[in-house]
Amino acid sequence: MTQVKCPICDKPMSFQARSEWPDFPFCSLRCKRIDLGRWFGEQYKLQGHDHTEDFHEENKSE
Amino acid sequence: MTEDNMLDPTFDESNDYNSANVQILRDADHIRRRPGVYIGDINTTGLHHLVYELIYNSVDEALAGFCNNIQIHIYVDGSISVKDDGRGIPVDIHPQAKKPTLEVVLTTVGAGGKFDKGAYKVSAGLHGMGAKAVTALSAWVEAEVRRGGRTYVQEYERGKATTELKDIGIAIGTGTRIKFKPDHEIFKDLDFKYDTLEDRLRELAFLNKSLSFTLTDDRTGKSEEFKYEGGIAEFVKHLNRNNDVIHPPIYIEHNVGEIKVECALQYTREDEERVRCYANNAYNPVGGTHLSGFRSALTRTLGAYGEKLDVFKNLRPIGEDFRTGVTAVVSIQHPEPQFESQNKIRLLNSDVEGAVSAAVAEKLGKYLEENPKESKIILDMIMNAAEAREAAAKARKAIRDRKNILSGGGLPGKLFDCTTRDTEESELFLVEGDSAGGSAEAGRDRMYQAVLPLRGKPLNVEKCRLENLLNNTEICSLISAIGVDIGNQQDYEAVRSSLRYNKIIIMTDADVDGQHIRTLLLTFFYRQMAQLVEHGHIHVARPPLYKVVQKKQIRYVATAEDMQNELLERGLDGTGLIILPLPGSNAERITLNGERFAHLLKLTSRMEDALQTLEKRGLGLRALIERVKDGVLPYCRVLLSGREYWFFSPAEVDAFRKQEQEKAGKEFVAGNEDQQPVAVPSPEGVDNTTPAIPPADVFYAQELHEIRDINKTIEELKAFGLLPTDLIPPVRIAGREPVPRLVLTNGDQSKNLEHLRGLVVEVRRIGEKGMTITRFKGLGEMDPEELWDTTLDPHQRTLMQIKLDDAFKADEMFRTLMGDKVEPRRDFIHKYALQVTEIDYHGA
Repeated sequence: MTQVKCPICDKPMSFQARSEWPDFPFCSLRCKRIDLGRWFGEQYKLQGHDHTEDFHEENKSE
Repeated sequence: MTEDNMLDPTFDESNDYNSANVQILRDADHIRRRPGVYIGDINTTGLHHLVYELIYNSVDEALAGFCNNIQIHIYVDGSISVKDDGRGIPVDIHPQAKKPTLEVVLTTVGAGGKFDKGAYKVSAGLHGMGAKAVTALSAWVEAEVRRGGRTYVQEYERGKATTELKDIGIAIGTGTRIKFKPDHEIFKDLDFKYDTLEDRLRELAFLNKSLSFTLTDDRTGKSEEFKYEGGIAEFVKHLNRNNDVIHPPIYIEHNVGEIKVECALQYTREDEERVRCYANNAYNPVGGTHLSGFRSALTRTLGAYGEKLDVFKNLRPIGEDFRTGVTAVVSIQHPEPQFESQNKIRLLNSDVEGAVSAAVAEKLGKYLEENPKESKIILDMIMNAAEAREAAAKARKAIRDRKNILSGGGLPGKLFDCTTRDTEESELFLVEGDSAGGSAEAGRDRMYQAVLPLRGKPLNVEKCRLENLLNNTEICSLISAIGVDIGNQQDYEAVRSSLRYNKIIIMTDADVDGQHIRTLLLTFFYRQMAQLVEHGHIHVARPPLYKVVQKKQIRYVATAEDMQNELLERGLDGTGLIILPLPGSNAERITLNGERFAHLLKLTSRMEDALQTLEKRGLGLRALIERVKDGVLPYCRVLLSGREYWFFSPAEVDAFRKQEQEKAGKEFVAGNEDQQPVAVPSPEGVDNTTPAIPPADVFYAQELHEIRDINKTIEELKAFGLLPTDLIPPVRIAGREPVPRLVLTNGDQSKNLEHLRGLVVEVRRIGEKGMTITRFKGLGEMDPEELWDTTLDPHQRTLMQIKLDDAFKADEMFRTLMGDKVEPRRDFIHKYALQVTEIDYHGA
């Protein structure tokens, strides 16, 4: 059984059939809602330019 | 039927359980005419109720402090007995009824010890009606009482005694045993269910700690004892047996005046609140005053504790948040419980609320103070619940506010929709950036292709750097354009019928920002619209990286790898390599071309990855080549006391460690490979701004696998007459031209090469002749026609369908990039910097 963690609360879960996992990929509807609230609340931001992350571009331009 | 008219005012109030306590009310026949009034119904529930009534009488005897064991026995003939080791029902002659008290208790309606508070402080039964209901509704009953050293028996049929009370001999101990067979004239189904009895007995055993219940079934030979020293704390544990709990149950026992309060609670990671409330052992499904007392204590106590720790700064939890995930059992004993309805669905006594609240607040407060670690987890859970509640409200509001950003047709204003309503062939392109969005809008086939531009790059003023995110409006646009109801996605058929496009195609630039937007989108789909991912609706466009013009023909090349392979192939045509002998060597000159030359190129380009990894670590090739022994490079690296050492095998490292430890006279700390400090500055002059020097007694050892790969290639290069030194430029001696070693020839042209690593680049350069190659920096650089030809046109484009696994990886990457922890983030980036091929899941 593959162990996965709930994206919100980190609760470990074993991978189950999707039909038995209505709140996939979360542990609960609550965590799924929290996630949606964070999308709407613009809390998910990835830092843009930062020289440590430019590796990708460097490699692309090789 | 009220208690008042059942009470006999002439009744004696002494504290003894004897014949004088029993009162007389009505005739037993009444029960047979209207059994539902007494036992609820005449189905399975009512049948089992008969047993419970007898058990409650025994439990009352236990609550009064006289009984420790209750045994329930099902016999093969379908009869059942309830036996306790209490005082035994009195057998002396009842003064009013002029009959043995036992017979009065079992046959005379309204007679029983319980109307008088004197005999039992608290009681669970039907006010003394229970035993009479059993006799009245049974085909036969046998009662056996052990009391005062004698054993008495009496038999009954359908509510009436059929024998006299008989003294049948000496008794050891005391107690009552009632055996009965339910009347088939009353009950259709006479079958006692083991599981039903088991559940109720277990519940009663939890509620009455240390009281033993034994259930034996002769029909199957099964027998079990239920006895819980931990009482309702064990009950809570039992209720949570399949849940993820975060602390051991908290047990509270407290007497407030005449009310006995017992409570156990435990937080889980579940969503619901589960509180089971009991008054005098009776379950109250709707709750009542004990439930409200418990809830207010939770809110008050945890609220005060959170306030003290100052965790409610941004978000204030409300009552329901404090209750999320709690499992509790509240059990009270009250001398005069008042219930709503015959089924005791709700407890009404108002004094209970304050008693429970005070008891729980006091003990829970103490627990929180004494267990800060568990308390912190509980508070985290509560905050989680509060955030979830707010999030749900936010999502509702966002969807409601959607109108503001939607055009007349209920679609976002920024969406360039397609004409067709055939969702089988329609496509939605999610395009990063307004300029690329413009090109896509102009270049698309508007019949079936829609375009939604996403910006994703607002400036974070505080940090003065760009941040990639999907803003609120974009999330709303995305949801309404796609058309899927975010809250209702269990059923794929429903999802499919509301989905407005068959294909949703993510189109982003091949740079860091593009990768971020793609990761955000994939994560969003994976988490909130997993059905779309699972059913293959999500795709990633693969716009080409290169435009090639050759003899006025334009074509596009998708990836850097494809481009390089093509250049190499073209460059190989008619090209050869001459390897000249080193000065002073007798070796012959070697000429390579055709397949052998191609093979050499393959070897060197394969080695290039390893060499680059080495360079990323800040290690110089020249320094390693100077250490060559037997034609191989050392691959074991040791850092000790600020110096670097190289070895050819782990065995050598061990020997060195041993030797140095002996020299130092102490054992070294084994350095963790991951924490290994960056090496001393390399000869190539890589700028190491932080040349970490390990502490003197730490021994860092590391095997560099890329060097083993390089060694393998060096071994193969031997066959071509090539040496490790051919990998680096020759040492220049002032005033002398270096002697050529490697000469590349093509037709009548030739070129000297300084080292083998330049070979691939040179061959590619030959391959580039006659072609003009442009690399697209972003989608915005393509004009509408180019975008159509390369990325939009279904007949020419390459689409990558996203599988659940790809989305899972995106989510993983997102979590790492999002993480507050700097270390894993940097490690992740570093790891992928070294293994560049993997960051591009499927090359997207």
